Amino acid sequence: MIITKSKEKDSVLDMLKDVKSVFLIGCSECASLCGTGSPEALAEMKATLEAAGKKVTGSTVAKTGCQVLGTKVELKPMKEETESADAILVMSCGAGTQAMVEVFKDKKVYPANDTNFLGNMTRFQHFDERCSMCGECIIDKTGGICPVTTCPKGILNGPCGGTNNGMCEVSPDIECAWAKIYARMERTGELEKMKEIIPPKDYSKKLSPKVWVIEKKKEEK
Amino acid sequence: MKKLKEALAAGEFTITAECGPPKGTDITEMLDHAKHLLGKIHAINVTDNQSAVVRIGSLGVCRLLSEMGHDPIFQLTCRDRNRLAIQSDLMGAHILGIKNVLCMTGDHVSAGDHKTAKPVYDFESVQLLQCVAKLNSGKDWEGNDMKGATDLYQGAVVTPESNPLEPQMMKFEKKVKAGANFFQTQAIYDMDNFKRFMDRARKYDVKVLAGILLLKNAGMANFLNKFVPGITVPQELIDRLKAAGKEGALDCGMDIAAEQVRIIKEQGLCDGAHVMAIGLENKVPDILQRAGIA
Repeated sequence: MIITKSKEKDSVLDMLKDVKSVFLIGCSECASLCGTGSPEALAEMKATLEAAGKKVTGSTVAKTGCQVLGTKVELKPMKEETESADAILVMSCGAGTQAMVEVFKDKKVYPANDTNFLGNMTRFQHFDERCSMCGECIIDKTGGICPVTTCPKGILNGPCGGTNNGMCEVSPDIECAWAKIYARMERTGELEKMKEIIPPKDYSKKLSPKVWVIEKKKEEK
Repeated sequence: MKKLKEALAAGEFTITAECGPPKGTDITEMLDHAKHLLGKIHAINVTDNQSAVVRIGSLGVCRLLSEMGHDPIFQLTCRDRNRLAIQSDLMGAHILGIKNVLCMTGDHVSAGDHKTAKPVYDFESVQLLQCVAKLNSGKDWEGNDMKGATDLYQGAVVTPESNPLEPQMMKFEKKVKAGANFFQTQAIYDMDNFKRFMDRARKYDVKVLAGILLLKNAGMANFLNKFVPGITVPQELIDRLKAAGKEGALDCGMDIAAEQVRIIKEQGLCDGAHVMAIGLENKVPDILQRAGIA
C-alpha cells in the first residue's frame, strides 16, 4: 500500500491561511490503514480546523480516492457541501489529492498528508519499504529480497564494507540487505546464482511521468 | 622508484599511501605532506569526497600530484555521479595522465556533511569496474566506439574482516571477474585472520595491498571498534597504546603500523601495503623506515 504521514497541524493551517471553509476527503484504502485518511483522522482534522476558526462544510471517506471516476460519482450527492467550501483538503496520498484536482477543476485542492513509499504492513500500523517500483524486478536473482530498495545504496552485487554483523552502517535500525540475501539463498540452495554479476538498472523504466493502458482488456469490453 | 603497475608486475613489495583533499582551495598543507612521500612510495591514493564530506575533487588533485612526480590512484565512487559523469571523468583521468583508478561504491550521504543530498549509485563498485574495462577496450558502456581508449589500471577494495565474510568473498570474486587488477584492503590488524583471507585471495590473479591504518591513540582504536564496521583492533594493541600515555601514543601507533608492514613483507603475506595516516601523511616515511623499508 501507499504509506502516507499526516503533515504537521501548523503546516496544514498555514496552507489554509487564506481559506475560510473546507471540505475534507479521506480514503478508505491505504490512507485509512495508515490512519491519515480514516474517519477518525477526518474527525480530528475537523476539530483542529474548527478550533482555528475555519468552517468545515462536510467530509467523506472515498472508497478508492485515486480512482477518479468512482470518486467523482461518490461526491455527487455532496455537491452543496463541496461547492460551498473555499478549498478541498485531501487526506490521502498524492495520487488521491491529484484525483481531486481533476474533479474540482476550479477549486483549490490541498494535501493534508505527505506521501512516502510503497509499504508492507508488517505489524499494525508498522510499515516497511520492500519495493521501490523500479519497473524491472530482479528478486529472482536475490533470494526474493530487493537490494534496490532495502540496501540504502541499492547495491546489486553484494555487501559493501559497511555491513556489520547483519546490520547496515547507515543506521542501526536497518538490516544489511546482502546479509539477508546471502542467508536466504543459502537456505534455498541458490548460492551459486549469487555469483552472477547483476547489471545496472535500466532507469528508463523508472522515468516519470508514466502511463500504462491495458489495451487488451479494453478491447474485450 | 617504479610506478604502481610496474612495481606490482615486477613482484616488488609495493607501498601506497593516501591523501584526503581539504575542503576549500588552500591545498598547501596537503601538497606539503605529499612532497614528504616523494620517492618513498610507489603510488598515492586521492580520496573522493571521503565519508561523503565535500572536498576538492579527486581528479584535479591527482593531476597536481602527478605533476609533482607521484603516481596517483584516482579514487572514484558511484555516490555522486551517474554513468555519464563516471565515463567522462574516466576519460578525463586518462588525458590528464592518470594511470590508476580505485573503483568504489562510496560512503552513503547520510555519513557526510550534506545529508539532504540525493545519493546517485547509478552503478556500484562491480559495475564501475566493468565500465572501466569497457573504456579500456575502446567502447563506452553502451558499446559505442570511442576515439581513443582509456588505459587505466583497475583497483578495488575489500574488507578481510567483514562479518559475515562469505558474502564479502563472493563480491571479491565478482570484482576480479569484472576486471580488478589490484585490491587495497580495509584496515587489518588481526594477522591470523588476514592470512586466512589471503589463502583464499591467492587463488585469483590479482595483487593485494594490505590496509595499514595508523592508530593515533587508544581512543581512536576504541572508536574504530565501536563505529567502523569491518575493522577490529585487538585489545592487546589498545593496551599498548594506553600504556604509552598521551605523549607516546602516536609513536607507539607508528611502531605498531611499522611492525605490521614488516610482518606482511617478511612473511610474504601479500604484495604490498597501503598505509593510511589520515592527515599525518608526513609520518609515513618514518613508519616505512621503522618497518625496514628504504
